[in-house]
Amino acid sequence: MIKSYKLKRGLSNAFIYLLLAVLGIIWVSPLVYLVLHSFRDEGLATVSYLLPKTYSFKNYIELFTDTATLNFPRWFLNTFVVACFSCVISTLAVLMVSYSFSRLRFKARKPLINIGMILGMFPGFMTMIAIYYLLKAMGLTQTLLALVICYSAGAGLGYQISKGFFDTIPRALDEAATIDGATRNQIFWKIILPMSKPIVVYTVLTSFIGPWTDFILAKIIMGDARDNYTVAIGLQTMVSLEFKATYFKRFLAGSVIVAVPISALFLFMQRYYVEGVTAGGVKG
Amino acid sequence: MKYIDYMQLNPFQRFWYNFSNTMKAFPGKLKNFFAAIGMFIANFFKGIGKAVAGYVSRFVKGDWAVKISYLIMGFGNMVKGQFIKGLLFLGLQVAFIAYFIFFGWGYLQKFPTLGTVEQGMQINPATGGYELMAGDNSMLILLYGVLTIVLTVIFLAVYFASTKSAYAVAQQVAAGEKPVDFVSEVKDLFDKKFHITLLAFPTLTISAFTILPLIFMILIAFTNYNKAHLAPGKLFTWVGFDTFSEIFAMTEGASKGATFVELTKWTLIWAVFATVLNYLFGMILALMINKKGIKLKALWRTLFVITVAVPQFVTLLLMNQMLQEDGAINVLLMSLGIIDKGILFLNSTALVARITVIVVNCWIGIPYTILITSGILMNIPADLYESATIDGAGPVRSFFSITLPYMLFVTTPYLITNFIGNVNNFNVIYLLTNGGPSTENLYQAGYTDLLVTWLFKLTMNSQDYNLAAAVGILVFIVCATLSLVTFNLTKSAKSEEEFS
Amino acid sequence: MKRIIAMILAVLMMATLFVGCGGDDATNDGGAAATGLETEAGATLKVWAPDAALDTFKAQCDAFIAQYPDAGIKIEVVAQGEGDAATNVLNDPDAAADVFSFVCDQLNRLNDAGVIMPVNTNLAADVTARNSKESVGAATLNDLLLAYPETGDNGYFLYYDKSIVTDEDAKTLEGIFEACRKANKKFIMDAGNGFYSCVFPFTGGLKIEGLEGEDGDIQKFNDYDEAEVVATLEAFAKLFHEYSDIFFSTDVSKIPSGFAEDPSTCAAGIDGSWDAAAIQNVLGENFGAAKLPTINVNGEDKQLISLHGYKLLGVNARSKYPNAAQLLADYLSGEACQLERAQKNSWGPSNTVAAADEAVTTNPAISAALAQSVYSIPQINMSSTFWDPMGTLGNNLFKEDAKYDTATLTALLDKTIANVRDE
Repeated sequence: MIKSYKLKRGLSNAFIYLLLAVLGIIWVSPLVYLVLHSFRDEGLATVSYLLPKTYSFKNYIELFTDTATLNFPRWFLNTFVVACFSCVISTLAVLMVSYSFSRLRFKARKPLINIGMILGMFPGFMTMIAIYYLLKAMGLTQTLLALVICYSAGAGLGYQISKGFFDTIPRALDEAATIDGATRNQIFWKIILPMSKPIVVYTVLTSFIGPWTDFILAKIIMGDARDNYTVAIGLQTMVSLEFKATYFKRFLAGSVIVAVPISALFLFMQRYYVEGVTAGGVKG
Repeated sequence: MKYIDYMQLNPFQRFWYNFSNTMKAFPGKLKNFFAAIGMFIANFFKGIGKAVAGYVSRFVKGDWAVKISYLIMGFGNMVKGQFIKGLLFLGLQVAFIAYFIFFGWGYLQKFPTLGTVEQGMQINPATGGYELMAGDNSMLILLYGVLTIVLTVIFLAVYFASTKSAYAVAQQVAAGEKPVDFVSEVKDLFDKKFHITLLAFPTLTISAFTILPLIFMILIAFTNYNKAHLAPGKLFTWVGFDTFSEIFAMTEGASKGATFVELTKWTLIWAVFATVLNYLFGMILALMINKKGIKLKALWRTLFVITVAVPQFVTLLLMNQMLQEDGAINVLLMSLGIIDKGILFLNSTALVARITVIVVNCWIGIPYTILITSGILMNIPADLYESATIDGAGPVRSFFSITLPYMLFVTTPYLITNFIGNVNNFNVIYLLTNGGPSTENLYQAGYTDLLVTWLFKLTMNSQDYNLAAAVGILVFIVCATLSLVTFNLTKSAKSEEEFS
Repeated sequence: MKRIIAMILAVLMMATLFVGCGGDDATNDGGAAATGLETEAGATLKVWAPDAALDTFKAQCDAFIAQYPDAGIKIEVVAQGEGDAATNVLNDPDAAADVFSFVCDQLNRLNDAGVIMPVNTNLAADVTARNSKESVGAATLNDLLLAYPETGDNGYFLYYDKSIVTDEDAKTLEGIFEACRKANKKFIMDAGNGFYSCVFPFTGGLKIEGLEGEDGDIQKFNDYDEAEVVATLEAFAKLFHEYSDIFFSTDVSKIPSGFAEDPSTCAAGIDGSWDAAAIQNVLGENFGAAKLPTINVNGEDKQLISLHGYKLLGVNARSKYPNAAQLLADYLSGEACQLERAQKNSWGPSNTVAAADEAVTTNPAISAALAQSVYSIPQINMSSTFWDPMGTLGNNLFKEDAKYDTATLTALLDKTIANVRDE
């Protein structure tokens, strides 16, 4: 009886291993394809076989040296700067909003929470024209500052997950601190924030990744100022009709260069990310 | 149905029971919803009425300094010793008036017509060249008009607050108290009124870069801003609900009405499949990875999760290449001998393309579910499973009778946001198929276009700005209704299920 | 109303100028001396040019500055593709270039939005005289010359690998397909893209004849034989299905890629001059370029009719230095500059003298494009609703499960035209 149970479990485990292996390969293979072909030496944009025949670093070298037309290193730097600033501002904004919605009680709280939810349901494309002309009125179009503003201005609306996280911290803590004479400002910085590492990491991570992936709003704001592009617009440019034939391999190389640090950061911070999102996004 | 009957139902029957109850109650709830909106508006106006009444009575009751404060903001505060506060009020007033005179009024007065002078050209006889006779720019009039209105509303609110403050400080002085000094007011902002400090900056930026543009967008739906009325060369103007009737007009051929209906259907189907499949399969995979006795858990998780970390536009553009007729996937299938001619995954029939985008979306979405559900799955009390095993339940049954109900209960907020996210999932469709396969039966759209990608095409390809704005409003209504339904559905489920 | 008056005025003035200038030497290339037009001192201009010709443009702008040593002109040449120039100008006319290169089908959009400045009346006669009639037509709307013709060849034609497809094969679509099949190589055309797929109905006799309607933005298609168009579409569909193993509809970047593979996977394709350098580089001696082939429709060989555009140089209506901008556009579109770009970038000139130059006539890509231009519909006055329905039409011809009997195709054609007209 016990033997057959063990056998059954062994079989089911074997089946699971097999399934995980097959699915794992399916999941990773496009990325492997991306990496391998970023080293492909022969051919132009695409080839009609799976594995490259010759490998070299040419695509990477050209990406960083042939910068007269498409200046990838510059774009990388731009994106990094924008991502850093907007991630600091966004994180602060998210924490500020979610802390007040979660821990503080005031008259406008409920209406503000509802307004925040409603605003999140409008598709944003039509607003781009308006955003552009508002930035223009401030004389900021075609600047990196404009991107920082765009990416962090609306960040406060993403308060839900981090509010959910703050909700799980017992209120007794605040009350005890208030009795000890702490102001709410002190409670926020000295008690709540140190306990919120997962949600801070989660927010930092998501807002840091944002600027690396937006290719629509950024393009409209930057217009013809190619030196101020971010990698997302730049890579998108490389696969536009004008460039695709000659730049597609460099696009692959550029993608790898963007993906590697983000993946590393993500895998490194994964634990906090998961903790943050599970604690905040669901009723744990 | 009595409680005891309810307890004997299996989770699906329970869910169905809750669902049908919600549906029955839905008209009532919808009524309540709109009643609540009505109440909100009524309360809003009541509040304004009250504020005006208070405004008048404070003027009547206040001393001369208060009365002057009604004209010169902050005067009362300054006279009574709150110098910095009064100065701040005065500064705001001066700034607003300057804005209004030098910028706002010019746009605001043209707001009702959106401009009357069309741009023209004339020849300069001296050079033979044309010269521009600048006209009104309807788009800027609309945008800056809205800006001026919003700023005016904010200014009025500050103005009311300033009169109130002047009155309050006058009362304090009259009662023989010392007026609150600036430092302690600032201190208060970090304690009792900390929410004001925290929310001031985000509210400001959200108002400027989200709310203001949204109002602009909503208003565009009520104008004729389209390819025949492009600013700055031509004027556009208010047309009321014409744009909406254009969307719902069912004419022959690729009418906008037919397109809207078709795309709404597909958007909903897509959102349901994309959400449900990702959720179920992601959870099953997470269960497998976390099963006792499975080794290399970190490796398996990393294999899946690494796709989350690569920017979506990269993976999707790559997928698009791989799914071409001569792309990697077809090459692989052909070399394995499964097919002998490339499949047009993205560009043949509606069904094939739709299945393809849903499958690719699984590839993108399942890792997220694995990430999010892993932790929660570990929290399910083990004794629930043990007792199920004793009752002779296999893994499938315990999944459906324990795991799924538990997870559904715990992750509903995530599911709702995920669903809304999928309704607005621009990236996957735009980068993968760009809406294709195209069809002669839809206006500026293909079979896999979602409402939001259609909206984008209407803006970028055919310059139907007003149509796009109207579609945006309709997408909002769809999303809001859906959230309402699901929210109520889970509310009713919540009261009866007791897990935690 | 004011606009109309301005337009009438403009036409009247132009007419008088034509009379007045009739005696002048119209071939005078240094426009400034003849017209008395002077650049503003200290003019700062921005020029949008495509990447491929950026360096050429920079050098030419420097030469322009050298013509006015005392004026202190500064010119910045910025890369911007001419395919979406109108979109970029309309996004923000104030931030757009003073002089920009664009494809002529965007002219009506630019004009509707009032962002393009018509050609200076003193220069117009000369511009009209020195460029081909077709290119001037493409730059004219409502009898007003709005832009400076820059090239004569923004169209597409046939590229082929001479080692597989002989010059004789390349004359007919059937011959090309047969040669491709023998070598088991692809024929590539982006048949789901309206820019290329409008070839199918055009070959059947469909024509664009300007715009009609109240706002003047609906395309006319009032003169075509439905039976003939449908028969042609049927012939295309039949051929595509018969040769479905070698006919590939995919984006045109696959054509140079396919030629470049070892062994090559592509033997012929329909593409434009922008890929000429890449393909020539790859194919070397076997490089073949020719006008589009013919197709056999019910026993009759019909020449494929393409969409043929022109690149134009426009002056931004909001330019702060309109005179300098006009002179610069005039210079950049002049004979010398066009010839230089023909030599360096394989851009076919619209200037009649430059087009006759030996350097141009011996360039295979340019001569293929110019040979095709005889069998083409000018890419002008296109409505924004043209591309999508045309692409759909193309898609429905080659898709494996698509029906292509007369009734289906007739319905498809009717719907396509209705959709283009946005009815």
